[in-house]
Amino acid sequence: MNVVRNAVHNALRPALRSRPYATYVPPASLKEVGPGQRPWLSSRQPPESPNFYTGRAEYYDSLNDLETSIQHTRAALTSLQLLPLPAFARAAIPPAQHVWQTKQDIIQRMRMTLSTTRYRRLIKLLNQLDQYRRIADVAGVDVLTERIEGVLSVFEKPNKEAILAHGKKKPVAFDDYGRTYTIGRRKTSTARVWTIAVQRPPEEPVEEQNADGQTADEEVLPQMESTVVSAIEYIPPKPVKVTSTNIVINNRPLVEYFPQLADRERVILPFKIAGLVGAYNVFSIVRGGGSTGQSGAISLGIAKALAAHVPDVEPLLQKAKLLRRDPRMVERKKTNRRKARAAVRRPCFHRLRRY
Amino acid sequence: MPSLATTRCSFRFTVPLSRSRPCLPPIGQTRGYVVRPGDTRKTALKTPQIRNSFKAKHAPASKKKAFATPPYTPMPTNQLTKSIFKTGERVELELPTFSPKVMNDDSVGRVLAFPKAKNEAMRAFGVPESALHDFRILSRPCSVVRDVTISTFNVLDAAGQKSSRDTRLMMTGPTGCGKSYLLLQTVEYAAHSDWIVLYIPRGLSLVDSSRDYAYDLRTQTYLQPEFSAQLLRRFLSVNERLTNMLKTREQVPLQGRSVPAGSRLTALVKAGVDDVNNAPVVLSVLIDELSQQSTHPVLLAVDDMQAMYGYSMYRDPHYRQIMAQHLAIPRMILQYASGKKAFPRGAVIGAAGTQHTAFKMPLELCEALGLPPPRSTGPYAKRSSDIVDFARGLQNLPVSPRMSVSEAASLFEVWMQDNALHTGQVRVDDELRSMPNDELFMTKYAEADGNPRAFVRNGLLATQSTI
Repeated sequence: MNVVRNAVHNALRPALRSRPYATYVPPASLKEVGPGQRPWLSSRQPPESPNFYTGRAEYYDSLNDLETSIQHTRAALTSLQLLPLPAFARAAIPPAQHVWQTKQDIIQRMRMTLSTTRYRRLIKLLNQLDQYRRIADVAGVDVLTERIEGVLSVFEKPNKEAILAHGKKKPVAFDDYGRTYTIGRRKTSTARVWTIAVQRPPEEPVEEQNADGQTADEEVLPQMESTVVSAIEYIPPKPVKVTSTNIVINNRPLVEYFPQLADRERVILPFKIAGLVGAYNVFSIVRGGGSTGQSGAISLGIAKALAAHVPDVEPLLQKAKLLRRDPRMVERKKTNRRKARAAVRRPCFHRLRRY
Repeated sequence: MPSLATTRCSFRFTVPLSRSRPCLPPIGQTRGYVVRPGDTRKTALKTPQIRNSFKAKHAPASKKKAFATPPYTPMPTNQLTKSIFKTGERVELELPTFSPKVMNDDSVGRVLAFPKAKNEAMRAFGVPESALHDFRILSRPCSVVRDVTISTFNVLDAAGQKSSRDTRLMMTGPTGCGKSYLLLQTVEYAAHSDWIVLYIPRGLSLVDSSRDYAYDLRTQTYLQPEFSAQLLRRFLSVNERLTNMLKTREQVPLQGRSVPAGSRLTALVKAGVDDVNNAPVVLSVLIDELSQQSTHPVLLAVDDMQAMYGYSMYRDPHYRQIMAQHLAIPRMILQYASGKKAFPRGAVIGAAGTQHTAFKMPLELCEALGLPPPRSTGPYAKRSSDIVDFARGLQNLPVSPRMSVSEAASLFEVWMQDNALHTGQVRVDDELRSMPNDELFMTKYAEADGNPRAFVRNGLLATQSTI
């Protein structure tokens, strides 16, 4: 249709210039046309996208951009001799770990309907580009990797990191004050443990001894020179300021919360094994269970915190089984038994005594 | 003045002597093997013949003899020949002696051994059970000087020139923070500073119905003759030199004799010691005489003083509980602690005990000292006006619940040098030897949070770990 119209327009153009009366235009059509304007050259702006007349401009724009990116990336990688990859190199590429936006997410973003076929076509291009990104990443071509990541990030879910880290151990995070927040559990007890390093007092600066430092009021006593002769040079060691570990549990000190020594020893054991007694302070909120469960839960929380603060002690704590959540729980009672294992009746065998 | 013999009641509530508390064994004994006096039996007991076979009547129970000697008698060291006793490795601690002259800020954190004199206050009056437990294990009774010790001694020095009404203190703090030890140090300091000292190390024995008691119509209180006699005996052995300088003002009529006016106080006390029936009167007269003299300052020190402010375990003929203020000796303590009576020079110092749950600090005493109440109370909780009266003016002397690291380190070194610790075992020459190190100290200090009892008794001595 457009072709026909264009052909007509091209044919008529020289004729119209000389004979303005040659073409009849009904007045109703001239309502929107201003004076001196050609009716078929409207004041409307040309469409932003060349894909406007597809009806799905944004989708096809995305598709074209991705195909262009794929072309350029392929050319770059080929020039770097990274494509085509031999079999052994392809095995070295890490597997794909992508979290693309779902069809609904893209529908909401592009504000248009999207069929599954068109969505799959988009995803296919994204997967291809992601593969080139992985190749570039492994090869160390950082510039290319960053550019591709910029293109792909538009189509990734915002919580991609959280989804990929689901089920894995999260590293313990430090807050602004250098505190860690860890959780320990034992039996039915849960302990929330905040650990912070003890602030060491700043070393007192050595008092400067000035020759002219005295005021007129002070009289300097004559300094006696020591006449002691010693065969060995003895320098007494400087006294070390010893700090202690303060542990507060449910707003009470450790000694008040756990009257039993065994529970207190269980709480302190991670510090003892790691050799960090006096280096960290602990605040904990513990709920559930009894004294043994609560002390075990706090111990696990402290061990995790120490492993985060000082990663070197992690193998020591692993060896001492302090970083392991004790899986032992109370065994259920079974039918026809008094308790989990205890039987109801003790079997008694009547035996006749043989003389 | 009517004779006291006619005013005494005819009935008397006595407790069998077998229930009386044994006297204090000698202090400074090392770990010994317990031998009971009646254990060396060569022949078996004869069983009584049962005559009636149908219903055997119970054989008459053998009468238990009262212990003349204390039941805990350690074996002499020459009989401890087994290697496990390690007799050859016994250590006598060499520590500086406790003396008022060395008490200054420089001695904070130092461990000082109590002197070994025959008339030592600690030896005569006895020590609280917490200290006794430690002294039985250590080779020499000693204690660490804390910052609160020095400040208490300064208060005592100032109190020596003032009336005891101005210095009425109560040592308070959480359980195991060192109140009894601080009171013991105060008593020793006063005794060595030429004070007259009257020290009751176990105030609970006054009110827990373990001593005999008798109602007295004249004073309308319950007397405790045996306890009074014991207290007088102990007082005499410590303060004889000072009481020799003092004389009675009036004649004192007693049962069977009379002490003339102007006689030495020592003679008066001996009269009470010789006859148990005279002891309560002699004790009250002695305290009166001490409250009239200003030659020597007087220290009245009572451990578990909170037990005086409440009900005792004694019962009257109607089986009602007797209040401690109706017993003669606790009443005397309350009168001096409340300021109703006072020594012209001296102090009244008590320590709150936390071990016996039947004798907790009452609400009235908490409010007088400014402490948080034992449980959530309001204006509608009943407060006894008598106890409020007796508690008025008592000042709080808080003892810090936490020892400093240097104080704890000195204490740890004492136990370590005495070979009393079993942790920190290291294999030396095919033998496990205990070599405590700083890791043990730091872990126990952290576990105890600096609390002295939790550090020593429930930490170092109670731990079952040997690494």
